[in-house]
Amino acid sequence: MSSVQVALGSRRARPLLSLRARTLLTGYAYLVPAALCLLATVALPIGKAIQMSLYADVLFKPQDYRFIGLDNYIHLVEDPVFWLSLWNSFVWVFGSVVLQFVVGFAAALLLHQAFAGRTLLRTLLLLPWVIPGVVVGLIWEWLYQPNYGVINDLLIRAGWLHDRIAWLSNPDLAMAAVVFTNVWRGIPFFAIMLLAGLQAVPDELYEAARIDGAGVWARFWHVTLPLMRPIIVVATATRIIWTFNYADLIFVMTSGGPANATQITSTYTLMQAYANLDFGYAAALSVVLLLVMLAFTAAYLRITKGVEEAQ
Amino acid sequence: MRARRISASLVERLLAGPVLWVGLGLLTAFALGPFVWMLLTSLKDRQELYATPLQYLPHQVTFENYVEAWTSPITPFSRFFLNSLWVCSVTMVATTGISVLAGYAIARFRFAGRDMLLLVFLATQMFPSVLLIAPLLTQWRALGLIDTYQALIYSNFSFTVPFTVWMMVGYFSSIPRELEESAMIDGCSQFGSLCRVVLPLAAPGIAATAIFAFVVSWSELLFAISFTTQTSMRTLSAGLLYMVGQYEVQWGPLSAGVIMSTVPVAILFTFLQRHLIHGLTAGAVKG
Repeated sequence: MSSVQVALGSRRARPLLSLRARTLLTGYAYLVPAALCLLATVALPIGKAIQMSLYADVLFKPQDYRFIGLDNYIHLVEDPVFWLSLWNSFVWVFGSVVLQFVVGFAAALLLHQAFAGRTLLRTLLLLPWVIPGVVVGLIWEWLYQPNYGVINDLLIRAGWLHDRIAWLSNPDLAMAAVVFTNVWRGIPFFAIMLLAGLQAVPDELYEAARIDGAGVWARFWHVTLPLMRPIIVVATATRIIWTFNYADLIFVMTSGGPANATQITSTYTLMQAYANLDFGYAAALSVVLLLVMLAFTAAYLRITKGVEEAQ
Repeated sequence: MRARRISASLVERLLAGPVLWVGLGLLTAFALGPFVWMLLTSLKDRQELYATPLQYLPHQVTFENYVEAWTSPITPFSRFFLNSLWVCSVTMVATTGISVLAGYAIARFRFAGRDMLLLVFLATQMFPSVLLIAPLLTQWRALGLIDTYQALIYSNFSFTVPFTVWMMVGYFSSIPRELEESAMIDGCSQFGSLCRVVLPLAAPGIAATAIFAFVVSWSELLFAISFTTQTSMRTLSAGLLYMVGQYEVQWGPLSAGVIMSTVPVAILFTFLQRHLIHGLTAGAVKG
């Protein structure tokens, strides 16, 4: 193709730049808007966050603003709430992702079957995933509401419960309650990802396995699962990262309370910036959050690369 | 041997019949039950809403909660709604334009640092948005952009652009390069072939990308509460939270607000769910 264009070009005046150079320049030009966006809204702010983490920067104490080196990080290491929040993050991520995966997989297997109204149902079942986090939080706050919430009412009617429970203000139950809400929200994500994986498994393989005498379970274990490994790895890893970073739901439902029972690292960071207006400490927390995430992302990229090469 | 075969086929019949239907029933009830409850709540008047014992169905269906939420002067839901509509529409259009160009460049041109750039876009998606709040707030304050739509729109780019670029790279890579080359032989410029050949072919993908940008910015909360101070500048998410924070929680108007915030994304999603799912999984499988 390029030889044709060069031939055309040579009939006219020789262009200032070679075709190759012009193509490259066009490519770079197309990238400029995206690069500017990321520079202004991601790269510069991250640099700024690192800088802020080295300063005493409390919004309502401007007279104390000064460089303090690593003091914010030392404060962080000595802060028991930070360590509690890391543990809570682990519980939150592990609980949410495992349950979302299990129920999502079951949902994907169900939706993979042929039945009337399948397309409509698939769309409807995605709803919990597309609505805003605030809306999810408010819906479930109302369901959990001690006096007028439908969850207490149903449990009492069924005879499983005697007294009304204040789900979100009980330190022993609050984490389970927010995790359950997050599970509700995340099931559709796994369901559609895994459904796409299921649809990519060729039918002939099932046929062949059936002819060889493999039962339902054996077909699932020896055909479906191995072939779906790449999408399982990708879906789970993205979900882990996303859940770790996600602050909206807990912020809306409990603000990390009661007594930090649901305080995960990302909500703790948010509360430091939003409620305490301690930007220096919030920045230090967010830098740590970023490092944890980068380490995880690097590990994830290695794993997916391994999966791709194994293919 | 014979007995085993019969039991195996029985298992398969059960799986295809009762298990399937019971499973689907439970799944649907679990996924949609909370919405149904919220809808019922929004249609009850105050007395029925706070009745003991709990009253499940409204005796007299009323829309007063919707009217109240929409017209309340203290928590102007209509204003929140329009704010969101504007912020999300502009974010959507701009994000789509930016990511079409960048996605095309990455999919078509071989340049130094291309893989690195893709990795940067991927890694950016993994960043916690709480990381950006304090520095962005400082930045927008320095630029005098607090309480403006621009601050919210620009901030939205931080999470829409990295993902939509990935989606677009996936779509453009799936379009055969030969089509453009023959257009260019026929005398189209590079840009001309992008507009006349590639864009029409990628239209479903571009639409999905646009919808995606709209839906995620519709959900955005943390930037909206951090970069606006006036009630009149709040978006839907921030406004709903504001409705909670005002007095005691008014579940009637609030449930109406929840339903009204859900409807637009639900409708958009119904139209484009197939393309969006395709985009998400294509990106994920390749990424």
